[in-house]
Amino acid sequence: MAALSGGVPWRRGWLPALQLVRRGSKAVTRHWKAMHFQRQKLMAVTEYLAPRPAVPPHCLAPRKEASQEDNGYARLLQRQVEEVFRDSRMIAVCQYNSMPDEDMVLMRHYLRKHNIEVKFVLNEIVRPVLSQSKYKNLLPLFVARNILLVSPETKAREMLRVLKRVPQVNLLAACIDDTILSRQGVENFAKLPPLEAAQGQTVGALGLLPSQTSSLLQCGSAHLTALLDQHIRQLQAGETGSPAEPAPAQSSGAH
Amino acid sequence: MWRWWRSRPLLARGGPGAVTVPRAGLKKYVLPPDYSGITFPERTKLKFMDKVPAVPKVRREPRQLRDIRGPSRQATHFTQGQYGILALGGGYLHWGHFEMIRLTIGRSMDPKNMFAIWRVPAPYKPVTRKSLGHRMGGGKGPIDHYVTAVKSGCLVVEVGGRCEFGEVKPFLTQVARKLPFPAIPVSRDSLQQMQQEEEERRLNNQNPWTFERVITANMLGMRKYLSPYDLHLKGRYWGKFFLKHRV
Repeated sequence: MAALSGGVPWRRGWLPALQLVRRGSKAVTRHWKAMHFQRQKLMAVTEYLAPRPAVPPHCLAPRKEASQEDNGYARLLQRQVEEVFRDSRMIAVCQYNSMPDEDMVLMRHYLRKHNIEVKFVLNEIVRPVLSQSKYKNLLPLFVARNILLVSPETKAREMLRVLKRVPQVNLLAACIDDTILSRQGVENFAKLPPLEAAQGQTVGALGLLPSQTSSLLQCGSAHLTALLDQHIRQLQAGETGSPAEPAPAQSSGAH
Repeated sequence: MWRWWRSRPLLARGGPGAVTVPRAGLKKYVLPPDYSGITFPERTKLKFMDKVPAVPKVRREPRQLRDIRGPSRQATHFTQGQYGILALGGGYLHWGHFEMIRLTIGRSMDPKNMFAIWRVPAPYKPVTRKSLGHRMGGGKGPIDHYVTAVKSGCLVVEVGGRCEFGEVKPFLTQVARKLPFPAIPVSRDSLQQMQQEEEERRLNNQNPWTFERVITANMLGMRKYLSPYDLHLKGRYWGKFFLKHRV
């Protein structure tokens, strides 16, 4: 046989009685074949054991969210918002609901006539800016989609007139001259006369009493001078004509 | 004009005629991935695989099931592509599988920005079948079809190009589910990570009794119940199956 005449070394001298027979089951099958029971035991013993962590995971503090890296564009937007807040005297925060673009354009146009700008701001941009500035109390307003109406002048009446025609934009609150006003407050503010007129009224009211006082004080002397003038005029007329002139002078003196 | 506003329904209209309002938005300026080192093959889609080898074998082979056993030695690493389908078990791919892979990937990929290449050869191994209603015996039947043997850890196809893993993952998953063995979509990074994790698990195993140690020392005469193949398979493979939770 081939095995006797050389071949694999360990097969060279084999006993004829010890025949290797080809039998037994296949080692590789297309289905899962049950392992020998001893082998199952061995597999169970030699399972992978993960190393125990030094600190149990439930004892660790909850992991903090990785802080978002601020990028340059966000910083730019924040700086713009800061500038807007610094430069404007009237800042109105409005809730913005979706509306046709043309209407938006029209509204902006009408507002711009009164020198009021519409600013679209994102809450995640505004919140960090506001939380560090003096407008901290405006923070609860920035929860949904908001727009800012900003103006370097305080034209609340014109703004309200425009906003009355736009049901999609609701005025939430406004900050006018560093005073936070509610919607009602803004309406009251709009009813006030303009500042120049109010100042004029005040000046008038204040000037009324002193002028009255002074007029009262000057009343006697003015009257006296008038009487004296009249008297002189009568005297000059008496030299020329009638003698009965002192009677009105005496009556005026008794007065 | 102002009166329309109240009567008009709340419709955000956009389109060619609409006026666009500039709005503030937040964009992220992350650097896009670098695709400069990618060379595209001439034909970006998968090549058609022949159903029968050009020179068909006249001999009917034994079944040779060992060609699906154990870890693969070929096509375990990426060559040109960045993403691929990794076999997690052995099995035979027949021509229908090749067509399914070719058509699905060809339909889903963007041929201008992606390419796909085969990592397995065309069906080469003859499989015999006795004809229907044939009596048993009478020798081996005629060759019915040809298959490709795939071992565990082998990449079946590679996909690459100017694309990200998120783009190719859905259709690779779709393909991988239909293969005759467990398979997953992998990228270069995830494959490397898998290998690293495996290595870490092997090093950090807290169990002092490892399969390798038991079998090399023949503890409790275990070699009687184990095969010589287990010396180098180390209990991680059983037949054509890959036991991925073992070390």
